[in-house]
Amino acid sequence: MKRMLLEMTADDAVFGHFGAIGGYALAARRAMHTFRTGPETWKYISIGQRKWANLNPAATMYDRPLSFEEYYKAKLIVEPFRLFDNCLISDGGRAIIITSTERARDLKNPPVLIMGMGQHNPSSEVHQATYLAGPTGAKRAGEMALKMAGITLKDIDACEIYDCFTYTVEITLQDYGFFGPGEGEDWFKNGTIEPGGRMPVNTSGGLLSEAYYMGLTPLSEATMQLMGRCGKRQLGPPTKTKSPEIILCSDNGGILQTHSCIILRRL
Amino acid sequence: MNKYNKPLPNVNDDNKEFWAGCKVHQLRFQKCQSCGNVRWPASPFCPQCFARGMEWIISEGRGYVYSYAVYHVAYYPGFEKEIPYVVAIVELEEGPRLLTNIVGCRPDDVKCGMQVEVTWEDITEEFSLPKFKPRR
Repeated sequence: MKRMLLEMTADDAVFGHFGAIGGYALAARRAMHTFRTGPETWKYISIGQRKWANLNPAATMYDRPLSFEEYYKAKLIVEPFRLFDNCLISDGGRAIIITSTERARDLKNPPVLIMGMGQHNPSSEVHQATYLAGPTGAKRAGEMALKMAGITLKDIDACEIYDCFTYTVEITLQDYGFFGPGEGEDWFKNGTIEPGGRMPVNTSGGLLSEAYYMGLTPLSEATMQLMGRCGKRQLGPPTKTKSPEIILCSDNGGILQTHSCIILRRL
Repeated sequence: MNKYNKPLPNVNDDNKEFWAGCKVHQLRFQKCQSCGNVRWPASPFCPQCFARGMEWIISEGRGYVYSYAVYHVAYYPGFEKEIPYVVAIVELEEGPRLLTNIVGCRPDDVKCGMQVEVTWEDITEEFSLPKFKPRR
């Protein structure tokens, strides 16, 4: 563990800088300086996703509701992040079978189609990066995926966003164009992303509250939702949300250095 | 003096001039002879124009806090007595950005945009670390 910390962070470790949380904390702090954001915005992401996890028996945080008070009271890890701004550490796995539409038609579950994909990788070292407060790789990756799919953001019914930290969800949705810089708090409040909300986000609980299976947490959830296999958390009438036709998923790597967007739809 | 119990720099052919400079309390960076870009981390090519030719310059050690993070958890035992401590990206007047620590003030007093200057911490016989403190 100690060796991994040192190998991954090179000379940053000399100054006590370790792991993903340190890098994302630098990004989040720069964002707080650049536009209106911070815990007041991120609490809606942490708590909104927890409400989805409370409907998901497979989620690590299934039986643990989270209040605004508990969010603020939780210990600081690397400021500006508190405990519940962080994703989980999980042992396990996820798999998705990708095959031709022809073969998929014969399978037990309804097929889900890939409509569009995009990637953009700005890839500087974190201390040289100019994109910590956006636009991150999400901007161009999102534009590419929407163009390939031939749709606009208005056609998206739900999002499954890579959420290593709460801030990652905000900057990703912001760079996709769901709201402008600093408008996140207003966009998230009043339950926008929660069960019953107008734009459900991370409907399994996500990496924050279901389990950390890297990009496969969002991708497997989008696939399952479009297949209609999500039980109590199923989008549509069970959660008083729109029945999903199209779901957008994201993944990113490093400290916002790489980004992938994929758009899926029901056949 | 207690044995130094935190990670030490990894010296290689690219950065050995930087760490040799630190030992004598000089911040040395490579300046591209083709486009004038002053760069960090040290590298054989200019990341702006890909030219090889370069000279080492000495930074005045002044800059501002681009961003910072306050650690409340010690991920490495040597830092247990330091928490809460501040890791920052400092942008120097000559251009490069350095990952470093802010010292000489309370973590709550650090702000993005704050003017800072270099201060040296002699950690072993071989190494001194460039850290930054508020500029008076």
